Amino acid sequence: MDSKLTSIFARFPNKQRDDLIPMLHEIQDKYGFLSEDLIVEAGKYLNISVNKIYGVATFYDNFRFGPRGKFHIRLCHGTACHVAGSSNILSEIEKQLKISNGETDKYGLFSLEIVSCIGACGLAPLIEINDEYHANLTLDSLKNILNHYRENHNTIYEDQ
Amino acid sequence: MSFIIHVNNTPIEAKEGEILLDVLRRNGIKIPTLCYMPGFTPSGACRLCVVEMEGKRDLITSCSYPAEEDMVIKTNSHRVMKAKKSLVEMLLSNHPDDCLYCERNGNCELQWLAEEMNIKERKYFSEKKTDKRDHSSPSVYRDPAKCILCNRCVRVCEEVQLVTAIEFISRGNKTTVNSAFNKGLNISSCINCGQCIMVCPTGALVDISHIEKVQSALTGSKKYPVALVSPAFVASITEQLNLKPSDKPAGLITAALHKIGFKKVFDLGFSSDINVKLEAMLLKERAEKKIKKPVFSSCCPAWIKYAEEFIPEMISDISIAKSPQQILGHLVKNHNNVTPDDPDRQLYTVSFMACVANKFEASREENTHKGISEIDATLTVREFNKMLRSFGINILRLAPEKFDLPFNSGSNAGLKMSYSGGKAEAVALELNNIINDTKSNIKFTPPKNPGSKKEVKVQIGKQEFGFAWVSGIAEAQKYFDELKAANRTDIHYVEVMACQGGCAGGGGQPIHWSYEKPRQRKKSAQDLEKNIKIHSPSQNTMMEEHLLKFFSSGDDLKTLHTRFKKREVLK
Repeated sequence: MDSKLTSIFARFPNKQRDDLIPMLHEIQDKYGFLSEDLIVEAGKYLNISVNKIYGVATFYDNFRFGPRGKFHIRLCHGTACHVAGSSNILSEIEKQLKISNGETDKYGLFSLEIVSCIGACGLAPLIEINDEYHANLTLDSLKNILNHYRENHNTIYEDQ
Repeated sequence: MSFIIHVNNTPIEAKEGEILLDVLRRNGIKIPTLCYMPGFTPSGACRLCVVEMEGKRDLITSCSYPAEEDMVIKTNSHRVMKAKKSLVEMLLSNHPDDCLYCERNGNCELQWLAEEMNIKERKYFSEKKTDKRDHSSPSVYRDPAKCILCNRCVRVCEEVQLVTAIEFISRGNKTTVNSAFNKGLNISSCINCGQCIMVCPTGALVDISHIEKVQSALTGSKKYPVALVSPAFVASITEQLNLKPSDKPAGLITAALHKIGFKKVFDLGFSSDINVKLEAMLLKERAEKKIKKPVFSSCCPAWIKYAEEFIPEMISDISIAKSPQQILGHLVKNHNNVTPDDPDRQLYTVSFMACVANKFEASREENTHKGISEIDATLTVREFNKMLRSFGINILRLAPEKFDLPFNSGSNAGLKMSYSGGKAEAVALELNNIINDTKSNIKFTPPKNPGSKKEVKVQIGKQEFGFAWVSGIAEAQKYFDELKAANRTDIHYVEVMACQGGCAGGGGQPIHWSYEKPRQRKKSAQDLEKNIKIHSPSQNTMMEEHLLKFFSSGDDLKTLHTRFKKREVLK
């Protein structure tokens, strides 16, 4: 079968239902998100209906159905961060970037994901932007950080 | 092995391996459920079947709990009643409460429960669902706001029809039942069978109603409304009103339709005869050409859509005969068979079916002739009942009237087509009539044992023909796989119906969830059959005359044929 996903399919020769979630992970790692075509391809290979796969994939927060932004913001919403005011940080991000959880802004620059705990409670509240941590946030420092990324997005992205 | 369980201080008998709910219901104990469907894997989603069991800390769901020896159950304790009431109150917490505007007003399981449990006001408030309503399908209308996530439709769609057009999307309180990528049923793999409508406890899934357009045709000055009544529809009304064949159910329906304002009322049994005859002729032709593969019936539009989507390689083996609805629609609209008495009025054909897939079938491109659709509207049994009420017609008090000429006579083949197995029989009898003559008889005895293969072999002329029938796509697909795997050549004709039990269990029937109803409708149809004097299409002289007209000009016969093609959908 000639498909974009041939190399991924090769790792799942048994075509079993249990292969679905690991396969979706691999597809997402390679393409960044699960597009409609890719889900259809995977369904054909595993002989699972597209709607079933969509149902499974939407059950888990981990799967995305649209592209991420250049800078993917993961906001920690664990207990410690919550106590330290992560809700305020969240509403500030939503206000500034005009996106909510799981969305990407219209320039394709930022996307936002709320996660349960990043595991750095001592540094609460914190966000992670493309594997870089920004700790002990205040509303002011958050504004500066976002502005920094916005103004220097070309150079930062190339450095990474 | 059977043993005793104690329910509400009364000992009752249970068998080993039985589900507690089945035992309780068999003994007349009321246990409300919203998600339970006999014969399906229990889901335990609605939790309304909870009972108290001695020795258990929590309430147990009786729909998924096996009966155990000496278990002590309370079904009406304070704790159970309180829990059930709370459950219904929570289901209502985000319900739109627009019962007045709901298709299922008065026939809604949630409404009944709210009334039974004496719920007088909204106790819990939660956010209303804002998912879009789905008008995209020609047959099925979805309103996610009324959905209580019982998953009956999801299970029917997946387990009985193998389609999985609808599925749970997302998680927790954001869960909805939706089509793939939330894109609408029209581009999903939905086959329009309407079984989801039949099992929906609320008004989340209803049919696309044609009542409005029919009423404006009836009252306007531009249309000449003509009714086409299917035998399955007649059988359904017979069962519903508990009529006897001597009451002339078809005559009563005809009288009612005349009263409502239809200028002509025709019998779809007429075109059922043509359909059966065309298929019998095809069968004879294939036997002469020694084609080994079986031919599959084409009269069920939901099965056709399934084949086009999932097994396009089988299309070449499906009969090319149009379905009875389309044949008669074609005959009425074309060939000057019917002329409106007023030249300003246009013919407007309304079919009365036990099916919602017929609404889709009428909209198919092949089913238009020179840009004019053969069928303008399709009404289900439910819609007919509603119309009768709105016109204030008590069908039982009418005097039976006859179907109008020229399409007034049908043999009992039409009634046979209303249940699973009937069409195979009708085609076999007709094939015998074609090959031998109309006076010869063959015996077509379906196997009595419900577990055995639904196949009958009959010797017709010099050859033995094999007839088989399947209903419900899951059963059909299983049978096709068996046919293919065993490479069988002894089966010549396979009748396929998408709904379990055939049209008797169709998606346009009055709402029910039982295996009993389709059986009763089948019985009604068989009772009616006995009273029809024309025993096969070949004996239907009126129909023969019409067909002869077609045969004399070869081109025209082709207009009674149709074509199917591979369909790309999200599947």
